[in-house]
Amino acid sequence: MAPAFLVFLSSGLFLGWSLGANDAANVFGTAVGSRMLRFSTAAAICAVFVVLGAVISGAGASHGLGQLGAVNALGGSFTVALAAALTVYGMTKFGLPVSTTQAIVGGIVGWNLFSRTPTDLGALTKIVGTWIAAPLLGAAFALVLYRVTEAGIRAAKPHILWLDQWTRIGLVVAGALGAYSLGANNIANVVGVFVPASPFEDISIGGVFTLTGQQRLFLMGALAIAVGTYFSRRVMLTVGRSIVTVGPVGGWVVVMAQSLVLFVFSSQTLQAFLVRLGLPPIPLVPVSSSQAVVGAVCGLALSRGLKGARQIKWAVLRNIALGWIATPAIAAVISYVALYFVQNVFEQPVYRAAVTAAGG
Amino acid sequence: MAELKISPFRRTQVLKSQIDEMLDVVSQAALAYKHGTEHYVRLGWDATAEQKFQQLCEFEDRGDKLRGDIGQALYTEMLLPDTSGDVLGLLGSLDRLLDDMMHGFMILRIERPEIPPEFHDTWIECAGLAVDTVEQVVVAARSYFRDPKTARDHIHKIHFLENETEDTALRIMEQLFASGLSLDRKMQLRGHVWLIDRVADVADDAGDALAIYAVKRSV
Repeated sequence: MAPAFLVFLSSGLFLGWSLGANDAANVFGTAVGSRMLRFSTAAAICAVFVVLGAVISGAGASHGLGQLGAVNALGGSFTVALAAALTVYGMTKFGLPVSTTQAIVGGIVGWNLFSRTPTDLGALTKIVGTWIAAPLLGAAFALVLYRVTEAGIRAAKPHILWLDQWTRIGLVVAGALGAYSLGANNIANVVGVFVPASPFEDISIGGVFTLTGQQRLFLMGALAIAVGTYFSRRVMLTVGRSIVTVGPVGGWVVVMAQSLVLFVFSSQTLQAFLVRLGLPPIPLVPVSSSQAVVGAVCGLALSRGLKGARQIKWAVLRNIALGWIATPAIAAVISYVALYFVQNVFEQPVYRAAVTAAGG
Repeated sequence: MAELKISPFRRTQVLKSQIDEMLDVVSQAALAYKHGTEHYVRLGWDATAEQKFQQLCEFEDRGDKLRGDIGQALYTEMLLPDTSGDVLGLLGSLDRLLDDMMHGFMILRIERPEIPPEFHDTWIECAGLAVDTVEQVVVAARSYFRDPKTARDHIHKIHFLENETEDTALRIMEQLFASGLSLDRKMQLRGHVWLIDRVADVADDAGDALAIYAVKRSV
């Protein structure tokens, strides 16, 4: 069972690698783009904290994605993850920061269509809603953070060299937080579709702590992301330099804003806190770090007023937005076609009949 | 020889001290230039003037060394990635001020021109204004490193003082050529006045560059 599962899991690992080469790299894009951190340092920090975030806090957002469509056969999980991975890989080749979330959602919708399972419109609306909320929230966080940081610097008047030193430390801390939140939030995209079919069991490590079966699955996905971060240089530079010129302090603001967005959509503690206050809970679903970072970069530019808005390279932004619309559509089409081939050419079951019957 | 690794905090502190020292060196060199010129005009070339010249040479050497060390640290350690070019440009301007003050005083030491008593006060005034221009550059540069928005408050004074130096230098040159001095002395003294005025010109150029650097840092 296990070797066969690993073969099927390979598409998920490929998707994890693609996520590492894309979304995970966005965490440090502005820091590397503004030359405050070396690419190798950024990739190493990102890799370590993505793994920690996925294994320790990956469960929340994974549950949210499962509501969209429970892919119930290993062949289906393999194909959906492969469709998403191919979409992300193809978009990455064009240097566009695509969203793995959109790719996997497109893939699951393709599976729903193929298996004639009705798509949960409530869950889909919730997830698509975050595609709009994440960049807006990223922009809002960046705007507020920049104003507060600017006021703080103006009041403290640090020497340019100390400002540089503290900004570097801030970038590492914010980047580590962002990578942790990314691991927690986006691991669902990578191996979430394999959770129902996972053969992993709980294991005790030295009698000190227990690694659950789901955590073992998440660990494998996270390691694939970690490897992918080392292939992210091109996308980092796209995010760091192409949309608007970002200075070191601006780079910190962008990384911090994006980290906060990912944190908001992954933290079960924050969700429980809001519920205790009688406020509506924030849905714990995978959000796109690409959308959050682009929103944050635009928020940073807008915080400088009309002059900043003029600096935004709208043509680059338009191409990114087109990529966002194309990503789920392409993933859904690839998923549908690939499921047909896997089922009819390779004769692998891609969904269980019970679901078909239930779906009508 | 193996390079000694120091902590980032220690490295930042060392580099900050070097930049502060560079500004101190320019400020002290300006004072040495002012006092040396005043002394020479009143009393001619003597041991005190020679001492001021030696001080200026040491300041110029130290400035060259500091500029090199700071530049190397900024590039090898990837510090101030977005402003290192501006900081090095500023240090280059300060170094040029040191060169010009030392060079002007060196020409004075070689030629030792006799300055007629009726020109003493205006000559000293002209040198004083040039030195004030340099001092304002140092003040504006200190502001640039801590609070770039306030650098502009000092930069307009640089332009004002440079204009005042130029007017005074022009007045001296007109008076020289209206006097009964021989043509060779007129031309020699004019050359020395021009060297004083050049110090203020270089300071003014540094002020112009600083204004742009400050705007870039404020954005």
